[in-house]
Amino acid sequence: MIKRFFSLFFVILLIFVFMPLVKDIKPLSELGVTSQKYAKDGAKELGAANLVTSVVVTYRGLDTLGEVTVLFITTAGIGFLLRKRSTGKNKKRKASEILKSGTSFLLPLIVLFGVYIFTHGHLTPGGGFQGGVVIASAIVLLLLSDINLHTDHNILNWLESLSGGFYIILGLLGLLLAGGFLDNRFLPLGKFGEIFSAGAIPIIYSLIGLKVGAELVGIISKLGREE
Amino acid sequence: MLIAGAIISLVGAIFLFLGALGVLRMPDLYNRMQAGTKATTLGSILFMLGLGLGYYNQICICKIILLLLFVIFTNPISSHALARAGHFFGIRLIKRSVLDALHDAEKESEL
Amino acid sequence: MILTIIIVLGILMLVAAFLALYLKDLLSAIIAAGAISLMASVIYIILAAPDVAMTEAAIGSGLTTIVFLYALHLVKKEQGEKND
Repeated sequence: MIKRFFSLFFVILLIFVFMPLVKDIKPLSELGVTSQKYAKDGAKELGAANLVTSVVVTYRGLDTLGEVTVLFITTAGIGFLLRKRSTGKNKKRKASEILKSGTSFLLPLIVLFGVYIFTHGHLTPGGGFQGGVVIASAIVLLLLSDINLHTDHNILNWLESLSGGFYIILGLLGLLLAGGFLDNRFLPLGKFGEIFSAGAIPIIYSLIGLKVGAELVGIISKLGREE
Repeated sequence: MLIAGAIISLVGAIFLFLGALGVLRMPDLYNRMQAGTKATTLGSILFMLGLGLGYYNQICICKIILLLLFVIFTNPISSHALARAGHFFGIRLIKRSVLDALHDAEKESEL
Repeated sequence: MILTIIIVLGILMLVAAFLALYLKDLLSAIIAAGAISLMASVIYIILAAPDVAMTEAAIGSGLTTIVFLYALHLVKKEQGEKND
C-alpha cells in the first residue's frame, strides 16, 4: 500500500517537474542553425549523396566513435561474464537437411548484402552499423543450422582491433591533412554519386561495419556456444 | 501496363488476405503455418511482380526480381524450421489429420 | 491519412509495450518487445528516415530479440539444473 502511494506521489511529482517543459514545446517549422548549415552545404562540402551518412561519419564523427566504443565495452563485458562456463553435455537436436543446405546457400548472399550495405553507405540508406548487424544475423543462421564452422575468436579480436585502430588513424589523418578530426577531405572527393567518391567516408564506414560486425558476431557466437 | 500490374497486385493482395484469414481460422499449428506461409509467399510474389510491371523500368524490375528470389528462398526455410521445432516441442496434430510423415520417419529410424 | 496511420501505429506500440510489461510468459513478452521496434521502424519509414528505420528493424526487432531469447534459454537451463 505504501509502495503504491509512493509510486503515485513520484509520478505526480514528475508531472509537476516536466509540465513547464511540455507547455513551452512548439513544433519545429524550420531547421535550427546547425542543421540548416548541414542541409545546405553538406552535399557540396563532403560529396556524399546520403546526407545522413555525412552527418554521422564526418560532422558528428566523434559521437560515432563513442558509440563504437560503447559497443566494444559491451562485447568485453559479455565475454567476461560468459568466460568460464564449460560447454558440457551437448544434447542439441540435429538440424534438418533443408535448413543446412538452405543455410549454405543463403549465408554468402547475406554476408554479401551486409558488405553492400556498408560500402554503399554514402550513396543509399544504411551504413556501417546496419551492415554489421546483417552480417551478424548471417552468423545466427549458421548457429541455428549447426554447421560446424567455428568462429575463431582470435581472428575476430584481431579484425575488431585492427579496424578500430585504422578508424582512429584515418581520423588523425583527417586532422593532419584536412580540416579536423575525422575530416574526409584528405582523399579526393570524386564524382558525386559514384561508389569511389566522398573522400574517406566509404573507407571509414567499411571499417565501422567490420568492427560492428566482428563485435556482434563475437557476442552471438559466445551466447550460442553456451548451449 | 499500369492496369495489368494493378490487377496482378490485387490478386496478390487477395492471397495475402486469405493467408491472414487462414491463420485465424485453421484448426492447429501446422495448418495455420501452412496458410501463413504458402499463401503469403505467393501473395507477396504476385504483389511485387505487379508493382514491378506497373512502374516498369529496368532497375526497378531487377531489384524486384532479386527481392522475389530472396523471398522464395527464405520463406519456406524459416517456416520449415518453425514447424519442425513445433513438432519436436510436442505439439500434436489435430485428430482429423491422416498423415504425419515426420512422426512415422522417426519411428522407423528407432526400429 | 498518414497522420492516422502514425497514430494507429503509436497506439499499437503502446499496447505492445503494456503486453511486454504485464505478460507472465517471458517468451511472449520478448516477442512483444520486438514488435514495438518493428512498428517504430514502420513509423520511421513513413516519416522519411530510412537510415533510422533500417537500424531499428535490424537491431531492435532482429538482434535484440535473438540475444534476449538466447539469454532466456540460458536462464531457463540454469533453473532446470538447480531444480534437478
